[in-house]
Amino acid sequence: MKSNYRQEKGIGAALWRFFAYLIMIIFALLAIVPLVWLVISSFKTTVDFQADMLGLPKHFYPLNYPQAWRIGDFGILFGNSVFYTVFSVGIATFLSLLSGFGFSKLARKSSKPIYSLFVLGILLTTQTLMVPIFLQVTQLDTLIGGGLAKIGLCNVNQFHLFYDTKFGVLLVYIGSLLPIGVYLCTEFEKSIPTSLVEAALLDGAGYLQIFIYVFIPMCVPIIVTLGLLNIPTIWNEFALINIMVSKLSLQSLPLGIYKFSGTLASDYGKEFAALVIGLLPMLIFYLIFRKQITKSVASGAIKG
Amino acid sequence: MKKSKLSLVLLLVSLVSVGLFANGTGETETEGTGTAAAATDANAVTLNILDYSDATAPGYEKTKAVWQKFDDENPGIVLKKEDLTNEAFHQKMAAYVAAGTIPDVMYMYPSGRSAVLHEKHLVKDLAPLLGPDFLSHFLPSVTDPTDQTSGYLAELPQSICYSSVMYVNTKLLKDNGLAVPTTYAELRAMVPRLKAKGIQTVLMANKDDWVMQSCLFSTIAGRFVDKQWVNDAKQGKVKFTDPQFVKALDFVKQLYDDGVISKSTLQLAYGEAPGLFASGKAAILIDGDWKQSSFVTDQTTGQALISPEDQKNNIELKAFPAIPGEKYPGVVSSTLGCGYGISAAIPAGSAKEKAAVELLKYIYSEPVQKHYLERGRYITSRIGVTSDKLDPLTLKMMDYYSTIKNTSYVFDSALDPSVYTVMNKVLQEIGLGTKTPQQAAQEIQAAMDAYLASK
Repeated sequence: MKSNYRQEKGIGAALWRFFAYLIMIIFALLAIVPLVWLVISSFKTTVDFQADMLGLPKHFYPLNYPQAWRIGDFGILFGNSVFYTVFSVGIATFLSLLSGFGFSKLARKSSKPIYSLFVLGILLTTQTLMVPIFLQVTQLDTLIGGGLAKIGLCNVNQFHLFYDTKFGVLLVYIGSLLPIGVYLCTEFEKSIPTSLVEAALLDGAGYLQIFIYVFIPMCVPIIVTLGLLNIPTIWNEFALINIMVSKLSLQSLPLGIYKFSGTLASDYGKEFAALVIGLLPMLIFYLIFRKQITKSVASGAIKG
Repeated sequence: MKKSKLSLVLLLVSLVSVGLFANGTGETETEGTGTAAAATDANAVTLNILDYSDATAPGYEKTKAVWQKFDDENPGIVLKKEDLTNEAFHQKMAAYVAAGTIPDVMYMYPSGRSAVLHEKHLVKDLAPLLGPDFLSHFLPSVTDPTDQTSGYLAELPQSICYSSVMYVNTKLLKDNGLAVPTTYAELRAMVPRLKAKGIQTVLMANKDDWVMQSCLFSTIAGRFVDKQWVNDAKQGKVKFTDPQFVKALDFVKQLYDDGVISKSTLQLAYGEAPGLFASGKAAILIDGDWKQSSFVTDQTTGQALISPEDQKNNIELKAFPAIPGEKYPGVVSSTLGCGYGISAAIPAGSAKEKAAVELLKYIYSEPVQKHYLERGRYITSRIGVTSDKLDPLTLKMMDYYSTIKNTSYVFDSALDPSVYTVMNKVLQEIGLGTKTPQQAAQEIQAAMDAYLASK
């Protein structure tokens, strides 16, 4: 009787495990197969692709890659993407930590409404901000340029401080990352005992010293989480950079890749090669940090 | 220790500053084009250009050389060119319009997505600027402003787009003892013989809902109602539920019922059709004139989906056959192509206006139009431009154009999106058998009524 029960339990567990693995394999294939198909298709000529969309390449055509790289000016765009991602994520993370320190440990009456304003930013979508941001940056340029032109320092039409400059893009990107950054940092820093601040104050440390030498080392988990959340966001960002710059020398990778999406006819070989070029850095990023990404998603879920 | 940290911070600040401002404020260089002489010439006129530039379009790389040539030949004009495509282009144009700072020269549509430029008269009338002598080199239909929303020549269309072409595999028909159909009865009679061999009669990529509307229904409807009727429908004077329009919807149902178009085409994505047609899975493909670029020789690889020899001997381009009860025989749907317009904000008679006109005359010149024709971009609206470097199918397309005597509207160019998206949807539903033609007509009319009420 007992052995029967064990046997039944064993069969049940094996069946359960079989179905669990089956479902996981199906979902894994759903994610991986399109990527494999994309990479295979990127080595086909457009004619080969149209003749057989699913098969292996009849003519192995690696030239799609150098051609897509050259046509898309990816050399320039790649560098710009790295620049925007590194500096906007770095600066936004630092400012978020600083704000979190202020809101959690140096709270005043005015802190709550200011904090609420930051958190409100989480609800705003990029699409709703596009035109207002464009209006702001162009009008600010006109305003400042007009003032400088009056004293003969520049031509108003040629003055750009916010529109069509890396400075302007960084400013907008940092601003877009702050709401979620400030929220997460404040909540995280609230969990750090206030007695640490008081002890450091008694030891004669200033607030800046406390922030740099006590808080930042303790905030490494939230710094990693913010980095993992924000790096793909900025790397893949398309809508804001599209309206913030017009010069090729300031554009980023997503804009370059988007140029390969034809409406009525497509050069599929180069289009797929461009997509792989854009995908690779994030794929490498994921492979390196997959454990941390899983952890940060889980911690985000718990916080939510 | 402290010194090294300070040095690190200073180094970081310097790097950021260099990165930020190396391409930042006060930059005056031209993008992609531009000569040092022009950039340093204080009297040089700067033209801001927003161009629609699809990197997968035929001859994309050579296009840069076209603009560069103008730049080289005109040291007094600095081109600041911004290249965007699809939604990126439309979003940016919307932002420019909202800010009241549209580019000096821009790529635009005769209606539809560029409606705001037309309706608010944000672009100049090109007719007086380019002059009758220059415009006499173009097809009369593209210089006729009545089909542009503005009512004047806001953009000079580079081409005419015929949205309905029957690509016929004559070899396949001949092998099965069939001939190119000239009437619907002949087309329907082909179905059993081809079906027996597993060949589709008419292939269309109907999974994308705009295809039926744009590539066939606009032509079918044009055989039953004329442009004036559509204009009246747009003003609420006639209704899409009127019998003559419902007849067109009835005919779509008949196409599916007779098996001329298989219901399986409703699962066929737009990119899949050319390969199936080229491999002989269907006798006829119905698509727009732009689809010929999928079959002709790819200039990068030298490959063609249909070899030039087969294009010459085995492919014919025809209009849809005569439909029983049609009122306007031979009509094919067409719309004006896109082109370039000039900002109305440029002062009349200014050096900038002259420079913009100079640029447009160059873009529409015979050598540039020939260049685009040879690279398969489009079949130009400039009269007499041809080349001996074209694939046979492109030459056949030019011949096809000359056979079209009367045209109808393409609905997605003539109607508001809120109306034509409903039309797209109900045409699919007729194919699926979930809506009758009468119900479909009522739904289109309801969308039109809602649009008219919202105006």
